[in-house]
Amino acid sequence: MSIDIVAFIADAIKMATPLVFAALAALMTRHAGMFNMGVEGMILCSALGAVAGAHYLGSVWAGLLCGILTGVLTGFIIAFAHLTGKTDLYLTCIAFNLAATGGTVFVMYLLTGEKSTTSGAFRSYQIPNINIPIIKDIPILGRIISGQSLLTYVAVFCVWFVWFLLKRTRVGLRIRSVGENPKAAESVGISVTQIGYIAFLFCGLFAGLSGTFLSMSWVTFFMKNMVNGRGYIGLSAQNMANGSPVGSALVSLLFGATTSIATTMKSQSNFPTEFLEMVPYLATILAIIFTSIYKINKKRRLEQGIK
Amino acid sequence: MSEVKQTTEAVKEKPQMDPRRSGVMQRTQRIEAMMEVVRIIAGMAIAYLVALLILIAISDDPLFIVKQFILGPFSSPRRIGSIINLAVPFMLCGLSMCFMYAVNKFNLIGESIFMLAGCIVTWLGLAIGNSLPMAVMVPLMLIVGAIVGAILSFIPAIMDRKLNANVVVVSLMLNAVIAQLAIYILRYFMRDPGISFIGSYETPDSMQLPTLFGKMKVGSGIIIAVILVIVISILFYKTAFGWKMRLVGSNPRFATAVGLSTLGISFAAQLAGGALAGVAGATEIMNSYKRFQWTASTGHGFDGLLVAVLAKRNPILVPIGALFLAYVRIGADVVNTSGDIPNEFISVIQGIIILLVAAESFLSGFKNKLIFRSVQAEKAAAQKDTK
Repeated sequence: MSIDIVAFIADAIKMATPLVFAALAALMTRHAGMFNMGVEGMILCSALGAVAGAHYLGSVWAGLLCGILTGVLTGFIIAFAHLTGKTDLYLTCIAFNLAATGGTVFVMYLLTGEKSTTSGAFRSYQIPNINIPIIKDIPILGRIISGQSLLTYVAVFCVWFVWFLLKRTRVGLRIRSVGENPKAAESVGISVTQIGYIAFLFCGLFAGLSGTFLSMSWVTFFMKNMVNGRGYIGLSAQNMANGSPVGSALVSLLFGATTSIATTMKSQSNFPTEFLEMVPYLATILAIIFTSIYKINKKRRLEQGIK
Repeated sequence: MSEVKQTTEAVKEKPQMDPRRSGVMQRTQRIEAMMEVVRIIAGMAIAYLVALLILIAISDDPLFIVKQFILGPFSSPRRIGSIINLAVPFMLCGLSMCFMYAVNKFNLIGESIFMLAGCIVTWLGLAIGNSLPMAVMVPLMLIVGAIVGAILSFIPAIMDRKLNANVVVVSLMLNAVIAQLAIYILRYFMRDPGISFIGSYETPDSMQLPTLFGKMKVGSGIIIAVILVIVISILFYKTAFGWKMRLVGSNPRFATAVGLSTLGISFAAQLAGGALAGVAGATEIMNSYKRFQWTASTGHGFDGLLVAVLAKRNPILVPIGALFLAYVRIGADVVNTSGDIPNEFISVIQGIIILLVAAESFLSGFKNKLIFRSVQAEKAAAQKDTK
């Protein structure tokens, strides 16, 4: 059993891309003080939206646009229910994810007559992979950094963009102040509802990109339940990194690597596949345990220091 | 007349309070309770209408399809029986989620407990074979299911309590892991190679519950479900634990202030909920299946959440929510087979119901108007009196 390390790292980055977007989506609402589990369902809807858009409008870029628009629209639905309808956010997100799981299959059936995948009925479009001119000729680095999907580079840019948005712009400051203390923010004239909608707008944008990556870059069709918990993994990633964009991206990369290990082992050994399927989720649970213990210890030490 | 009666009753209860004010309070409370019921019914009605609209919009023969959807579930004794059979796991999972929901922990581990409990029970049943009579076998299986459930729900509960990890995310991740474990046990320990699909060997006759009511073929699992509904309603509303649990859920700060162990109570409630989900899985296998054949998560945990939301965490109302859900599901199945409309649209309807029932502002304007009017009427009456 031989493993090509370079190919493995490149694969890990590819696997991490949707997780990075999912983490950024969850991060935007987290900073506005909302724990948005609906990311999972938003990504699923966007993945279908992207494929359908590309097929009916006949272009990759139309597909990308439709994916993002679906993400924003679904974000608006959750925001409307929670902020205007005043529902419990947990319940809203669980309900939304439930509806998204069945709803995507339903819409897929109406459009194509299939219930499991669109690969037969829809033309497949792929977001182009980019070869960076000089870097691609560098021996090892070239294979890792160059030749990834365009959206992977967009993800790197988005990590910087989110950091800039939150730390260096007025909107970002307002989002964070609403998340920190909504009443204080309201007392100085910031509309909590409006900021909530803005946070959900960005959340939808990133969820849309994540979905588009899954259905137009990772594979080139939509598949029933294809998100498979990636939204939740991204959500945990940003939770572990305490809401820092760069940290979330790094944790996502780690999860991408575990997924990549599992897929490599599936093809190269006869270890029961059920256990390999568990790997990403087990890794998430273990990571949650370790980061929580670390945080609790740190807090305890701080408290002892104060005494 | 009735007004006078009310005020005198209120005086009896709280003699130190101004009788007229307590009358207003009582009336406001009554309006609020009534509006809860109205909201739930309105939510179900709107969702049902949406379902009908979807059917009308997409089918070639709307009248036939709508008729099938509404009346189809009652068209034969067999179908009525299957509504009841389908409602059994919904009821048990709804009870399970009532516990989680009562202490405000959205512990969704019930989803995979249901599957693994069914799996373990089948495995044990195959190992024991026909050596035990049904009177021993069925309770044994229920207890095993409950133990499996309690053990599994312990994991997210302890992580929530000790590590402050988000219980929803942890339970969802665990669901994916446990579902794979159940599939592994099925494929490597009890798969029957003689059948075309992936399934276990046939379970012994002693753990297949007999059917009732002749043609309707209602499984006797309904008896287990009804008994548990009664027991848990008593637990919720007639015992100290039930009262504490509801207090912790509705007002945790007050519960802490009066010296209740909030963490301990919510922990116990989650274990009880998990045990019930395990009983649900075991019952479902004994009631409706001859083999264990689930190769994907069944979704019963989320159905249970819907039932608990519809029942407003009140165990007595759980059977109504469960029967409604089962009726809609069977309707969708009828439409699916007779009209070629995918039954997945039901999950969209389920989402809409949860949202409408959960939305505080849904019909809140109407509620406030009612309360306002009743207070106004009271004021007018008071002015008349003074004159």
